[in-house]
Amino acid sequence: MAFEDQRTTVYKVNPEHPESETLPTLRTEELLLNLGPQHPSTHGVLKVILELEGERLVKSTPVLGFLHRGVEKLAEDGTYHQFIPHTDRLDYVCAMYNNFAYCRAVEKLLDLKVPDRAEYLRTIVAEVQRIIGHQFWLGAQALDIGAMTVFFYCFRDREILLDWFDELCGARLTTSWYRIGGVERDLTPGLIDKLKQFLDYFPPKITEYQVFLEKNRIWLGRTKGVAVISAEDAVSFGLSGPTLRGSGVDYDLRKYEPYSAYPKCEFSVPVGKNGDTYDRYWIRVMELYESVKIIRQCLEQMQDGPVMADVPSVTLPPKSRVFTNLESMIQQFKLFSQGFQAPPGEIYCGTEAHKGELGFYIVSTGGGKPYRLKIRAPSFIHMGAFDHMSRGYMISDACTIFGSYDVVMGECDR
Amino acid sequence: MGLKPATNPDVEAATIQLTIDGKTVTAKDGVSLYDVISMTGKIIPAMCYHYTFDPFGSCGMCLVMQEGKKAPVRSCTAKAAAGMVVRTEGEDLFLARKKAVEKHLSVHPLDCPVCDADGHCELQDMAFEHGVTNLANAKQKFIPEDTRSPVLDFNMNRCIACAECINVCKDVLMIDALQFMKKGGFNQVVPKGDVALSCEFCGDCLAVCPVGAITNKFSKYLYKPWQMKKTTTTCNYCGDGCQMYLETKDEEVVRVTSPLSWKNKWGDRSETAKGHGGICVRGRFGFEYLDGKTRLRQPLVRESNQLVEKPWLEAMHLVVDRFTDIKDKYGADAIAGLITARCTNEELYLFQKLMRIGFGSNHLDSSARYGHLNFVHASKHALGLGRTPNDWEDLTKATAILLIGSNITETNPLTAVRIKEAIRVYRAQVVTLDSAVTNMAKLASHPFVIKAGTEGLVIRGLVKAAIEQGLVDDEATKKHPQAFEALKAALAGLSLDEIASQTGLTTEALRDIAAIVAEAPRSIIMCAEGIVRRPNGYDNVLKLIDLAWITGKLGRPGCGVNTVTEEPNEQGAVDMGAAPEFLPGQARFDDAALRDRFAKAWDASLPAVGTGSHLVDILNGCKNGRIKALYVLGENPLATLPASMEVRAALERLELLVVQDPFLTETGRQAHVVLPACTYAEKDGTFTNFEGRVLRVRQAMDPIGESLPDWHIMTSMANAMGCQWEYQSVNDIQTEIMKVLPGYYNLGQPRKVVPAPDRYLGNGYAAEVTARYRTMPDSSDRARPFSLQMGQVLMHSGKMSTEAPGLIMIAPSTGKLRMNLHDMEQLGLQDGTRVRLTSDLGSLQLGVQPDQSVAPGTCFFPEHFNEPPVKDLMTVSVDAMTGVPSFKQTWVSIERA
Amino acid sequence: MSVAALTRKILHAALFYEIVDAMKVTFRHMFHQPITFQYPREERAIPHAHRGALGLLRYDDGRERCVGCDLCEVACPSHCIKVISAEDTARPLQRYASEFYIDVTKCVFCGYCVEACPVNALAMTKMYEYSTHDKRTLLFDKKRLYDIGERHLDDAKQYLYAHNQEKNVEESREYRYYFPQSVLKSTQSPPKHLS
Repeated sequence: MAFEDQRTTVYKVNPEHPESETLPTLRTEELLLNLGPQHPSTHGVLKVILELEGERLVKSTPVLGFLHRGVEKLAEDGTYHQFIPHTDRLDYVCAMYNNFAYCRAVEKLLDLKVPDRAEYLRTIVAEVQRIIGHQFWLGAQALDIGAMTVFFYCFRDREILLDWFDELCGARLTTSWYRIGGVERDLTPGLIDKLKQFLDYFPPKITEYQVFLEKNRIWLGRTKGVAVISAEDAVSFGLSGPTLRGSGVDYDLRKYEPYSAYPKCEFSVPVGKNGDTYDRYWIRVMELYESVKIIRQCLEQMQDGPVMADVPSVTLPPKSRVFTNLESMIQQFKLFSQGFQAPPGEIYCGTEAHKGELGFYIVSTGGGKPYRLKIRAPSFIHMGAFDHMSRGYMISDACTIFGSYDVVMGECDR
Repeated sequence: MGLKPATNPDVEAATIQLTIDGKTVTAKDGVSLYDVISMTGKIIPAMCYHYTFDPFGSCGMCLVMQEGKKAPVRSCTAKAAAGMVVRTEGEDLFLARKKAVEKHLSVHPLDCPVCDADGHCELQDMAFEHGVTNLANAKQKFIPEDTRSPVLDFNMNRCIACAECINVCKDVLMIDALQFMKKGGFNQVVPKGDVALSCEFCGDCLAVCPVGAITNKFSKYLYKPWQMKKTTTTCNYCGDGCQMYLETKDEEVVRVTSPLSWKNKWGDRSETAKGHGGICVRGRFGFEYLDGKTRLRQPLVRESNQLVEKPWLEAMHLVVDRFTDIKDKYGADAIAGLITARCTNEELYLFQKLMRIGFGSNHLDSSARYGHLNFVHASKHALGLGRTPNDWEDLTKATAILLIGSNITETNPLTAVRIKEAIRVYRAQVVTLDSAVTNMAKLASHPFVIKAGTEGLVIRGLVKAAIEQGLVDDEATKKHPQAFEALKAALAGLSLDEIASQTGLTTEALRDIAAIVAEAPRSIIMCAEGIVRRPNGYDNVLKLIDLAWITGKLGRPGCGVNTVTEEPNEQGAVDMGAAPEFLPGQARFDDAALRDRFAKAWDASLPAVGTGSHLVDILNGCKNGRIKALYVLGENPLATLPASMEVRAALERLELLVVQDPFLTETGRQAHVVLPACTYAEKDGTFTNFEGRVLRVRQAMDPIGESLPDWHIMTSMANAMGCQWEYQSVNDIQTEIMKVLPGYYNLGQPRKVVPAPDRYLGNGYAAEVTARYRTMPDSSDRARPFSLQMGQVLMHSGKMSTEAPGLIMIAPSTGKLRMNLHDMEQLGLQDGTRVRLTSDLGSLQLGVQPDQSVAPGTCFFPEHFNEPPVKDLMTVSVDAMTGVPSFKQTWVSIERA
Repeated sequence: MSVAALTRKILHAALFYEIVDAMKVTFRHMFHQPITFQYPREERAIPHAHRGALGLLRYDDGRERCVGCDLCEVACPSHCIKVISAEDTARPLQRYASEFYIDVTKCVFCGYCVEACPVNALAMTKMYEYSTHDKRTLLFDKKRLYDIGERHLDDAKQYLYAHNQEKNVEESREYRYYFPQSVLKSTQSPPKHLS
């Protein structure tokens, strides 16, 4: 089925909303409304204090921290290795990508080279995770606006991938599959077959989602021209990912700071024009197609080989050697009880997660634990632009707006 | 010995220059190259090296490249020489070191999961650091583990033959209990003679073992290092005040470790003069009482002749009501208190404040009364100085040490190690004078055994011999010619030969000893229980001060008359004023100006001048009904004092006896109320060791059961008695002590003190010296030929250590009298034969056992045990000047039962 | 925009054509097999690699594998494991876990303990149905963990194979941990694979 490119049509709303000034001289005052934290459409436990003038948003102040668990502090308590399961719980929808971003950051600190096959595996799984993330966003966003069917269809396909994750690493959401220096286990032939089947199955399904939304004039009406943010504003708010690209800024870390197996794959980065909710949607749908492309290429290019770097001072020995070889036993005990000894220094490493740039900033003073670990979570940064994006829109748009830049409070509050 | 760093203050080694990694370094000639490199801050791995002893050179890790040599050399056994050019880093050296690690690993068993050293293992660290991943030809030894010793297990599969254990035992501790033995094709560490280990059990071998070859039986398999919380604290057993680490796991003490460890193996050898960081058997293995089953967990209140558990509130109400009643009825003077010197300074301070302000009574005393106050009074009287003038460093670097009446290895093992170092490194001449063949006598250059009870005579002889031989220091004596004349006059009637025959020494020996003490540039006189706990202790200390004075040793650096204390905080008890004659800071209780100061600081009035009684008077007061209520804090007079003191009768007459103790002691069983107190592991505070160093005690675990720290109990009691004390923590008490005693908290270094004998020598010396040297009748009793001595043994300290199962296992209460083998043969006794022991006060039957350290004509029984009650045979004599009761020696007859 | 396109657009708008499009998809799904299943009545197929409840394993001869090395305790990112180790009174010099607790309310099911275990005494199983009304029963003790291990032994082994913790070969199955020997009393013969 072919779709028109509808991005040229922009429904403009006058943010100055002059109709409020034409009201008779009644006593008016701004209404404060608490949205959340216990609200189904707040993607977790977000609370927003909305200042309303009639139904228009004058000011919206997100109140964060309801899901704060001190993850950054937890990192200082354990070894580098022990933090991986904690990253699962940042953006709990897309654990794999958090693992990936964290492992990449530590590897950068250690200056560790990951084997080729592991790089391909990481790319494949990261893109699978991107598909899951976008599906989840799509379903949730449609649901926020009132289109329930898409939600079910997205989740149907997402289930297939989550089961695939379960088979891969033993858990559907809290994956902890990435390791510093590689990945926990290789893809089995069965898993590769299943993935290939999915790649054939999936693109027609994307079209299905599009049918439901892009032709639906209500949905269009509520996305086009809603929550517009200009390219300059987007850049100065530090937005990233589809939210930034929706405003027409062609910036993707996979292209500009290529990592893992991305430089070896051909793919394009969709860019929007108007910076409205619709463009952000469009980019995500296009990225689904691109992800499928990347996975296909990786599966083709991938050669046999180890999936874990062989650096005795950092990576675990194979378990079978631990039973019989003293040196491996020592390695096992040292790595688990004290962790590997990272060099002193500080690094920042950003990774293009499906929400935007997920960065880890690690300060090490040497030794087995990070001195300080800071997470640059895209959800948190995007939340900063919420007030700017929502001013002048209707109260019913509020959920659409913060839905449009994909918030997961686990990551936002940390 | 040639590689020892030149630390002797008398001998300066030549300074040389050499190049290490391109930098020019100066060093002392003849020092180990490894030491020179580690001084520059560069750490080369070495598994067999420890700075406390000479390099051994077995591990092969400390390789460096020396210019002009083809192969790498072992830097530990190489001597630094002028002009050497040394490289310590490089790929080749890394590989060579890796090879050395691989050599050790290839015969190491796969024991990490069960090994106690796992996570605290140098071999692990080295293997990991050097990235050993592929061992060729790994093989195992299969040597069964030696589990014969009650304390340590030797698993020689894990041994890397670094010999650190052997070296520390031989070189540092001079015990020499371990050796290498070729057995089963491998060089193994075995106890000397390959029998079950029997030594001082200090456990320093355990501390320096870099792998898990030597393990601690008491904590075997119970822990991994990562599970434990490590608290640095001060040992609670003797006055040495050793720092140690209490390692706890969920409110359970798992083990005690020392600063001496393979982990801190780099250091300046000269620093060991301040202590090598080790601890003794009591500290290392006597920790189990801290969370033992016998600990009191609930207050006990006497109800119909039985102690029943009661909640705190009820018990405290009762205590406070009864104290108030007695105070109202009989006046404040009917209340008295005793405290143990195992309490912290803060608690001792609070105790005297509670007694004086809360109760308004000056009847208070501490266990420093059992001996240490003899020394304090003598020293304060003569020198204006209520503590020892010298510290460990002075002792180590002394050129002559006169050890009189002290079995120092048994009482203060770590101070003994200082003397051992003085012998070994600084070549000190050590004279021991004791009525037993002590461990130190075996190492000393001039060991002398004297007849029991003649210590005082020997000192006279020494003073006489010094004057006779003209060993007098003119500078010191000319300042006080009158005093010197008086001394000479007092000594005129003495004859050296007579003294020699009475004491069992020769005249030459007396002369030699006097010469050694007088001629050495740094000579230290150390007296302990054989002087201060015996009759005339006060006089005898003064005589020693005389000896030091005439030989010019008073006030000279590194010289002085010292003592050691049995309990950790006896010095603190005196300093904090837990004695009727002293206010805090050793201020005299009757000094009006100082009284004013304290009254102002405490915002209360002090008990009147002239009131106050010490331990013996308090017990007499209880007996004759003058004292109605006694507050006993950790003390146990019933089990300590002989029956002739009639302690039981005294306690029974009391209307109120409150005992506050971590355990239910004999005295506690007599009490009306028993309050559960915390041990040192459960509270913060400070101890003042015998050097005058204030040392921190830190809380390592939560109080056991419902027990509370003593300061907490005393604060609530005082507040219930109407005081307004606002101490929320030990810190608040410390702040107050800092205000009333500025500069007392000299954490780390002891304050340097200068003796000021001029006032004493200038006034009144002549009057008292005559009495001091008056001849005494020979005290030995022919009808009772044996001198029975009670004293401390190495594994025990007071009664507290008997609550530690580990120490009881190492040194159980045998209930046997220890005798010299020769005496036993003469009496026809075998090990275990039962004998009748008769003194003037009674007799009892017990078995005998031979003991090499007991001199002929004497017999010994450890003071820690009352089974059988040998202490009841002892006569008590109370020193007129200081009120110190001495009851550790008497004359007995022994016959086969 | 051409007239035809404009007409089509108006027509589509007037006839709510997007509903027709969407309904086409919806109606097509009426002929699909449902992808949902009735959970308690229908069992989910759990993959071998699944990280479910932890269990403790024994060797084939019934001896406990766990030697109480406490490595799982330190490896655990959520500090939910508590091992109390001691010397086995019946067998001198053999270390074992006298008590072993896993606080399942804290467990994050990351599998690090299994990865850490030097004797493969721990394994995860496919067991996931242990919800309870009483939170206290979620502190699994040693007995319960061994019960789980026994009941789900096959799952546990499959897990170890799937995660490359143990090889599914004879040699690997024969492996066991050997303790140090005592000079006083020997309790085991030297290991075959090492002699």
